[in-house]
Amino acid sequence: MRHERYEPNRMLKKGIKAWGPMVVELWEARELASRLFMRNLAARYKQAFLGFLWAVIVPFVAIGTFIFLNRMGIVNIGKTDVPYPLFALLGLSAYQLFSTGITASCGALVEAGDMIAKVNFPREVLVIAAIAQAVFELLIKMALIAAVCIYYQYLPPVMALMAVAALLPLLVLTMGLGLILSLANAVVRDTAQAVGILMTFLMFLTPVLYPAVGPRAFWLRVNPLTALIEGPRDLFIYGSLRHPTAFWVVSSAALLILLCAWRVFHLVETKVPERL
Amino acid sequence: MPDFAIRVSSAGKKFSKSLKDMMFYGAKDIVLGSFALGDESSLLRRGEFWAVDDVSFELKRGESVGIIGPNGSGKTTLLRMLNGIFMPDKGTIEVNGKVGGLIHVGAGFHPMLSGRENIYVNGAILGMSRKEIDRKFSSIVDFADIGDFLDSPVKQYSSGMYVRLGFSVAVHSDPDILLVDEVLAVGDRDFSLKCYQKMKEIRERGTSIVLVSHNEYVIRERTEKCLYLEGGKPKAFGPSDEMISLYIKDGLLKKAANRPSAPYEGKAQKPRRAEILSVRFLSSDGTEVRGLSSGEDFRAEIRFRATEAVVEPFFSVNFYTDRGLVYAANSAYEKVAFDTIAPGDGKLTLHLPRLDIPTETYYVSVIIGEGRECYALDAQHFAYTFIVERATNARGLLKLPTAWKME
Repeated sequence: MRHERYEPNRMLKKGIKAWGPMVVELWEARELASRLFMRNLAARYKQAFLGFLWAVIVPFVAIGTFIFLNRMGIVNIGKTDVPYPLFALLGLSAYQLFSTGITASCGALVEAGDMIAKVNFPREVLVIAAIAQAVFELLIKMALIAAVCIYYQYLPPVMALMAVAALLPLLVLTMGLGLILSLANAVVRDTAQAVGILMTFLMFLTPVLYPAVGPRAFWLRVNPLTALIEGPRDLFIYGSLRHPTAFWVVSSAALLILLCAWRVFHLVETKVPERL
Repeated sequence: MPDFAIRVSSAGKKFSKSLKDMMFYGAKDIVLGSFALGDESSLLRRGEFWAVDDVSFELKRGESVGIIGPNGSGKTTLLRMLNGIFMPDKGTIEVNGKVGGLIHVGAGFHPMLSGRENIYVNGAILGMSRKEIDRKFSSIVDFADIGDFLDSPVKQYSSGMYVRLGFSVAVHSDPDILLVDEVLAVGDRDFSLKCYQKMKEIRERGTSIVLVSHNEYVIRERTEKCLYLEGGKPKAFGPSDEMISLYIKDGLLKKAANRPSAPYEGKAQKPRRAEILSVRFLSSDGTEVRGLSSGEDFRAEIRFRATEAVVEPFFSVNFYTDRGLVYAANSAYEKVAFDTIAPGDGKLTLHLPRLDIPTETYYVSVIIGEGRECYALDAQHFAYTFIVERATNARGLLKLPTAWKME
């Protein structure tokens, strides 16, 4: 029989022993997470004509705009080693995994506010379900990438398959930041607004739609996101990481962020229900 | 294995009054909590108050406990603390067994999804596995009794259907401890009855129940013990019948304290031709009482003053509950012909040899009037309160004289 003891700061008092129950809770919640993800997915596309197509319409518009701005001479994309639409699509798919995931998880707790205040269940499943949405959209974009490759008759190297694995650190970072931001937004609603703006501008400050070449490369590499976006794309195009050190350093940091965020989430999630 | 289902020891929960404070303290708590830099949970900061304060009680396995108290006394907050939604800011709460909450039925229902899909979502939220839901699916659907609507989006449901489906999933999650918060007030009569039947069935399986309700019948029928909260603090804990009586008495005392001594004083009115001076309720031995048991001898003594003669006078003593008029003793309806009242003071006694009205708290109106058209000269509406308590050796709300005959 289950025995629970509720007291102030109980997760803090457990110290290092808290990790066991955290892992168990996550494991037990896997079914709920997938159920919530399916619910969000089904509900999202239920009253819409284009449904899943929206996941590919956004990249089309963004890439089209950039091609236009480049032709007009307003921006200077620079030379890419694969056809530009493919290059941009690879970057955008990775970036949108991050931005969609962050935006969705930011609102995850607030949108489920009523449920959180009235039912006891592991709260992190809401964030996981939100990020699963971003992963799902990525899968749709992968089909688009395949279509674009066929159109340009471009054969990626064998190592391109590793690009999927190379997206994991980005996913880890998304999850870590998502957990923290979901809490922050539950208490202070400015978070979602700020994140929304940040995600738009961060895209332009990261080599998503343009390559990091020439003098601008130095400054772009200050942005840790650059390594995680370029890594998978380099694998897809060149079959190898062109900046492995940066990739592994940022990946390790992302893992650390996730672990800290997960722990913090458990420490303070109990302070959240009354503030939703 | 511990023999208690729930043990609450001096538990408390605080809230902020304003949203701004809440945001500020929330951000502060999160930062402090993240870095484990001290703890302000047991401190009362400016703008905060204890919504639940220093509550202790124990619920044995298989027992049922009710929580009563006026609005805002912390009943629902306490229930949520038992459910582990709100962590106590002080004290501890220990829970043995799987807790199922009927605090908010239909949690996680998505309006766009069908009832069928939502059963799975809701069930998962309540901790049921897919297999478990598959197994109980038909039973859930039968109990909810929503007919052809199972495959319609729940946004097309009536609010009653919504609650029925939610309740049905919740009771099928087989909790060891069931927390119920006034949800049964929704839904039609048949369904309410079904819910209470189901709760009884669950009880018999050994499930402990914690019930928050304003319905004194439900509390009396479904719980043995009761926690009486007031302003977040536990006022008393004991047998439900006693707690209900205490709660009602407290309410009456408060009402009495607020009631102006003469209801119509202060209004600029021409002197009444007749007015009621006082009303006293008496038991069979003539002592003044605030309440009696159902079936006991009852007297109401009305003192009045007439400034002019009242021709064809009538009197009425009406017993109301919050649901309306239950019983009216009315001399005009009963065709009692009184003599004309001469100017001066007088006294009238209404005698009911058996007060056969249900166990309940009544608001009593007393009226003096005249004429065949029943013109009221002084009507003191809901000015008095009277409690009818459960008679000893009585089941149900009434005690009626009976004659049993074996043939």
